[in-house]
Order: sequence, then C-alpha cells, then structure tokens
Amino acid sequence: MSVAVEAESVVKVFGNIRALDGLSFSIKLGEIFGLIGPNGAGKTTALRIISTLLLPTSGEVKVFGVNVVGGANEVRRIITYLPEEAGAYRNLSGWEYLRFMASFAAKSKDDAKQMVKEAAEICGLGERLKDRAKTYSKGMKRRLLVARALMSRPKLAILDEPTSGLDVLHSYHVRTIIKRCVQEHGVTVLLSSHNMLEVEHLCERVALLNKGRIVAEGKPQELKERFDSPNLEEVFAKVVGFA
Amino acid sequence: MLRGFGNFLLKELKELIRDPKILLGMIIVPLIMFPVLGAVMNFSVESAKETAGKTTVLVLNHDKGDNSTQFITYLSHWGLRVFVTNVSTVNDAVKQMATYNASDMIEIPADFSRNVNAGNSTTVEFYSVFSGAGLLEGIGSSIVDSLVGQFNREVAPDMIVPERSTIVKGKIAENVDPRALSNIMISQAIALPITMMILLTYSMQIAATSVAMEKEEKTLETVLTLPMDRFAILMGKLSGSIIVAGVAAVAYMVGFNYYMGSFSGLSTGGASLDLVSLGLVPSLFGYTLLGISLFITLLSALALAVILSAFSEDVRSAQSLVSYIYPFVFIPSFVLMYIDINVLPMWLRIILYAIPFSQPIIASKAVIMGDYLTAGLGIVYVVGFTLAIMYVASRLFATEKILTAKIKLRGLRKRGRTETEAS
Repeated sequence: MSVAVEAESVVKVFGNIRALDGLSFSIKLGEIFGLIGPNGAGKTTALRIISTLLLPTSGEVKVFGVNVVGGANEVRRIITYLPEEAGAYRNLSGWEYLRFMASFAAKSKDDAKQMVKEAAEICGLGERLKDRAKTYSKGMKRRLLVARALMSRPKLAILDEPTSGLDVLHSYHVRTIIKRCVQEHGVTVLLSSHNMLEVEHLCERVALLNKGRIVAEGKPQELKERFDSPNLEEVFAKVVGFA
Repeated sequence: MLRGFGNFLLKELKELIRDPKILLGMIIVPLIMFPVLGAVMNFSVESAKETAGKTTVLVLNHDKGDNSTQFITYLSHWGLRVFVTNVSTVNDAVKQMATYNASDMIEIPADFSRNVNAGNSTTVEFYSVFSGAGLLEGIGSSIVDSLVGQFNREVAPDMIVPERSTIVKGKIAENVDPRALSNIMISQAIALPITMMILLTYSMQIAATSVAMEKEEKTLETVLTLPMDRFAILMGKLSGSIIVAGVAAVAYMVGFNYYMGSFSGLSTGGASLDLVSLGLVPSLFGYTLLGISLFITLLSALALAVILSAFSEDVRSAQSLVSYIYPFVFIPSFVLMYIDINVLPMWLRIILYAIPFSQPIIASKAVIMGDYLTAGLGIVYVVGFTLAIMYVASRLFATEKILTAKIKLRGLRKRGRTETEAS
C-alpha cells in the first residue's frame, strides 16, 4: 500500500465552532508530511482525529486502509501520537516511563528491552534517565517523549509540534532524530507546526491549513515557486490574503 | 509597607470567587450541608426526647403486696408507660415485650413487699433490650435507672438493689449491664461511619486527582492512543485508588482503635464484656456481606469521582467537583451514627436507603443484629447503582468525552465576564 493516510472531507464541530471544514489530504508511505498553519487553524484537531482521540462529525479518515472510527483499536496498534504539550509521569524515572510505554507496543520482553534501548539512544539523556521526570528540563522531557513516540518504529508517527518550546540545539536534535527514523526504519511521519521555516526543512510535502480548510498543498519548493515567495511563511501570508 | 498587597489581594479574590467550581464546592455546598447536619442533630435530640417520653416497661410482678404496686405506680407517675404482665416466667415475659413495644422489663421478686416492710434491701432484676440503634441506644434503661435511684432516695437508701441484664436478639444475657454494653457498642457506632467518611472522601480525592493529573500533566492523550483497552485504563485507575485508600483506611482504623481504646476503661467502668458470646460480633457470613457492601460502595464512589473529574481541566477543579458528593457521604453517616433508621419518617428512610453511601453503615448494624436480608438487599441496590455508574464511566473513557467534556455554568461565567469587562 502506497498511501499511509487518507482524509476525505473531514468536518469537526465543537458546539458553535467548526474546527475542521471539509479537510482532505493524503500522505504517502514513508513520507514526512507537515500540516502547517496559525494557532486555531485546526491542526491539532486533525491530528487528534487521525490518532483516534476525537471522532469526526462527518467525513472519513483511513490509516493504512483502516477507518479511524470503526477500526480505532487496530489503528492504535500501528500509530504513535505525540501531543503538543505532552508530559511524562512526574514520579516515574525516564527508564520507568519508557519501559511502561514499551510494554504496550512490544510483543515480548526482549522486544520491549530493545525498544527502551533504542529510545535511550534517540533521546540521549544518558544517566539522567535514572532520575524522575519531574526533575527534567522542558527540552529533556520533550526528547524523552519524542523517543517514546519513535522507539516502537510505528507505521505512522503523529507528532504535534514536535519541537514546541525547545531551543535551537534541542530542536535540531529532534529534527535529526525524526529524519533518521524515517530513513532507517521507513516510518511515515505526520507532523504539525506553526513554525513554517522548520517544516520547510523537514517535510517532503506540506499542507497549509487555515480556518479548518487546506488552502494550499505541495512540496515546499513547489509552493514557494508557485507563490513567488522566498519561504513558506510568506506563501501562507499570500494564500490567506494577509500579504 | 507591603506595597501592592491590596491590589494582589483583590486579584486573588476575583480569581477565586469567579471560579464557579470553587464558589459552589467551597461556599454553597457547606452553606447547605451544615444546616442539614444541624437539622439532623436537632432531629436526633428530638427523637431522643420522644423515645425517652415513650419508654415502655413491662413488669413481671411476683409480689402481691402493696409495696410493689406502689413502686409500679411511682414509675407510671414519672411518665413511664408501664404494663404488668400476667405470665409467670421471665422468658415468657421477654417474648411479650415486642407486643407491648417495651424496651425494658422489670422482674419484681415475691419477697419485695416483705423486704421493704422489714427495711431490708431487695434485689430487683432489670432487663433492657439491645437493638443496636446507635449513640442514643439505652436511653430507656437510663431513665428507668434514674427513677429507681430517685425511688431509693425517697423511700430508703439502697432499698432496691438493681441487678441488670441485657436482652440481645431475644435472649437474656445474664448480668450484662446494658449501659456498659452500650458504651462499648457506641465506639463501633462511631467508628464505622467515620471510617466510611474518611475512606470514601479520601479515595474519591485520589481517583479524581489521578484522572485530573493526567489531564493537567498532558499524559492522558498519549495514554488514550496506546494499544490497550480503554476499560483497562479506567479499572487501573479505580484499583490504584482503592489500594491506596485501603492502606489509608487500615492506618486510620489502627490509630482510631488505639484512640478509642484509651477511653474504654473509663466508659465501661472496667467491665469486660465478651461480645462474641453475646452474638454481637458479626459472623463470617456477616463480615463477608459487610466487606462486599463496603467494596461495592467504594467502587461506585470512585467511579463517580472519575466521572466528575472527567469534566475538569485540572486537579483543583476536579477536587472542587468531587466535593459536591461529600454531603451525600457526610449526612447519612451522621444521621446513622445518632439515629436508628427505623425511627425515622418513611420519606426520610427512603432518602437514606436511596443514597448508596448509607448502605455499608446500615449493613454494619444489620449484620451485628443478624439481619442479613437488609444487608443483602442493600448490596443488590448498590451493585445496580455501581453498574450504572461504571457503565457511564466506561462510556466516558471509550469516547472523546473524556477529553472534551466540560461543566458549563454559563450564567456564572457570563456574569463573571461582564464584571471583568466593566472593571
């Protein structure tokens, strides 16, 4: 199967708010796909629907051919989700947290051990993994969580603002990890960000999201050429009529 | 001095008072709960007065002389309802007590008048029914005691020497002073409701905090996308809360028993009573029923706390929301600590039976008195309630509601917003 994610006319309504308004896109196997847009554009809602946390009001989403509503349990077996402001359990050490998370994805104890070992390499926290998560800085915590999301080599990793709140070096480290994971293990990645410059360097294809709709979609270079802009930020401003 | 204090205080008050959960949980609920508790106390005092006024005594008079008649008249004169039975044995008289609704029985010996006329002391047997009513248990026998003391003072000191026995479950426990027995049983009447209150409130706080913490620390979303049964998440949370609360309850009971034990010498006058031989310790079956009742009630309280905490966004609001349940724990506990549920008006009895948190306390009294039917029916009711609550909780966890549910107090929010804008 060459299509990892297929979203078709997805609508999500919260009370009087139409968070998603006919969202449609598809992600190819082994691709890093970016959903970008300003705060409130509907990025997180879209990711939550794909990761089976929310139900679409209408429309359909399939992950590797499995409907996220009807086959939610099956979808959860092949994805990992990293929420934007995710935390780790304060009173568990980094090792304990990783072991806890690995126990759900692993098929055997050896498998779980291998996952935790890989996560330790990915996050690079070394001896600090013995300490409780409440003693970690924001950057350390984020690296731990990114490692958790990638250690099981999911078919699809859904990462909401993976470098949110991180400094330049930590952001660079996380981006490198994501790229390596895709190259080495063929993981498909769907990520969201409002940092368009970052996405430009990381994603093979992007969709610009505004008010719950995709307003432009394509490879970053194509979009820049199409809208005659030096970067995606300006592309977005032009698309929504801000510039 | 303290520059900026006034401004900061004003901000704090606005923040706290405009939070509807705090307003309701910490101000409105106590404003309702304590007056209700006061009404309960008032009712229990009135009930005690009424019980005292209606104390009914059955007299088995073996003496045919004037002095015994004078003694009986004396008791009637001071407000006791006295019936003289025609049966000849104590056991037959005990069987008749229920017919007369008598709480006490007096057996006057055949030589009563002769001894009184001779100026000798005479031993009179007093029997009191133990019903397991609670803190007001034994009020009838206290009145009889004080009237006998008064009679002695008026006629001659120590003319009547009372020999006290207790009737437990229809059987006479010879030389068991009902007052001493009541004092011992009072500790049980207090201990269980208080333990229940602490166990339920503490475990509900733990359960609510555990769900709210997942939301506050942003770990819930991750957990909900793991390849695991959502019901397992719910059960894991409930079980964890039960274990921690159980340990807390054991620690509390050990401490509380030590505390109560320090008073036991005073309260019983040094008397030692064997509750096992009196049949006032639940049987293994009774303990099992009580354990089931406690466990199921705890489970329902925890599931309720989880449901409420699902509507909160952080730990503080979860704890405020859970406090709405407290009146339903505190009020039945206090009521049943003081009052025998059977003396309450029917409508109040129905309300108390309908509150699931009453059931373990009702069951504890019932199993001591061998009334397994009441305990069993209570369990059936709480199981039904718990299943309903667990179903709602599992549905919450199975759907997006666990992430999106919020309590909407639009009126309060709107008012709060208008005030902010105005200022």
